Amino acid sequence: MSIIEALQSPRHVLDDAVAAQEFFHSRGWTDGLPVVPPTPEVVAACLEWAGLPPDHLVGIEPVRQRQVTAEKLAINAVMAGCLPMHFPVVVTALTAMLQEPFLLHGATASTGGCAVLLVVNGPIRQEIGMSGTFNALGPSDRASTCIGRAVRLVLGNLFEVRPGEIDRSTFGHPGKISWCIAEDEENTPWSSVSEERIGDPYASAVTAMAAMAPRQLMNEWTTIPEEILDTFAAEIRANMTHYSIWPGNYAIVVPPQLREHFDAAGWSKADIRQYVFEQARIHRRDWAAVGKGSVVGDKGDREYPALPDPDHLIVIAAGGPAGGFGAVIPPWLGHKSRAVTVPVGACVDC
Amino acid sequence: MPIEVLDPTWGDGAAPFALADRLASLEGAVVGVISNGKQGTRAFFEGLADELQRSYGVADVDVAVKSNYSAPAEAHILDRASRWNALVSGIGD
Repeated sequence: MSIIEALQSPRHVLDDAVAAQEFFHSRGWTDGLPVVPPTPEVVAACLEWAGLPPDHLVGIEPVRQRQVTAEKLAINAVMAGCLPMHFPVVVTALTAMLQEPFLLHGATASTGGCAVLLVVNGPIRQEIGMSGTFNALGPSDRASTCIGRAVRLVLGNLFEVRPGEIDRSTFGHPGKISWCIAEDEENTPWSSVSEERIGDPYASAVTAMAAMAPRQLMNEWTTIPEEILDTFAAEIRANMTHYSIWPGNYAIVVPPQLREHFDAAGWSKADIRQYVFEQARIHRRDWAAVGKGSVVGDKGDREYPALPDPDHLIVIAAGGPAGGFGAVIPPWLGHKSRAVTVPVGACVDC
Repeated sequence: MPIEVLDPTWGDGAAPFALADRLASLEGAVVGVISNGKQGTRAFFEGLADELQRSYGVADVDVAVKSNYSAPAEAHILDRASRWNALVSGIGD
């Protein structure tokens, strides 16, 4: 039996591609943008590229016990604009998101409105044309945009994570359209995010994190690592007072213009993590200065770190070559959801 | 030219659930409340427990509080639920 014959999803015959657009939009199966019609042929091409049969079980959503098959992921990936060579990254992203520590249901249902941030590492970035330089936090390239969008369509179509349905976000943020970053491994001596998290320097891997919107900062007026990181830590502290005090996985994005100062001083990612761990903390009484005095209570002198330990900081090398900017990406809600890293091609539960 | 496309949704393959038998009355029943645990819910669920006992003759109200309001109820709460005649799944903020 061919892959096309093995596809189990219901089929719809429509007049033409234009009719297909309206068919998908009218059923709430899109994010509002046009989609690529998922014909059996192109869906089968994705599965064939990844070497997965249609009924391959990628994972089970822990709360509602929904089985997620490769076929359904491929259909949504095609709709998002993915090419077959992008599909293994989509499968890996969902594999990570379906691990229990990620807390997919809570993270996607919460009024907090986080998005799923994907960080891609390893050779697959270059194989599929991902870029970790210019416009790293935006639509930097076709692969990144389509892979991130595929995740959003999967959430909507497989888990009803649509505004007003499972998604109860008050605001959400623009990363919910698509949010996928390739780390700029070629332009840094640092070990990659995935190497630091799973220990394999050669693997392609995807890290998924339930993340709030990035907070951009700037410090072009020093070359001293501690001073640069003081700006990052201040932004984290601002998030802890203005948004959430709870510790969890924060990510910081460091562009080349700032990385060169760390490189010159011999600072590794571990050095950065340790310094930020020590500096990014506030006292509960700090809430009084931002209008939250009513919940300070008798805990004013209690110290709250942003990170449970240094390893909870994810340091990402990415960004265009010019500009002393940086970004802090806060966790959705402290430690309720944990970042998960999975190698491409791994079968976690096999 | 006609085009054939595949359905992207999870579909109607939901696991079958059967509703529990309805109680004819709450009189003398033990009612459980599973609170999602958000701070602002405490007074509401305490008030609900009082009202159930005062107005509906409920014998006892057992309020169980989840440790993580974004995650399913823990096993020890489900164990307690086996002793309840009815339960309220409480989501508050």
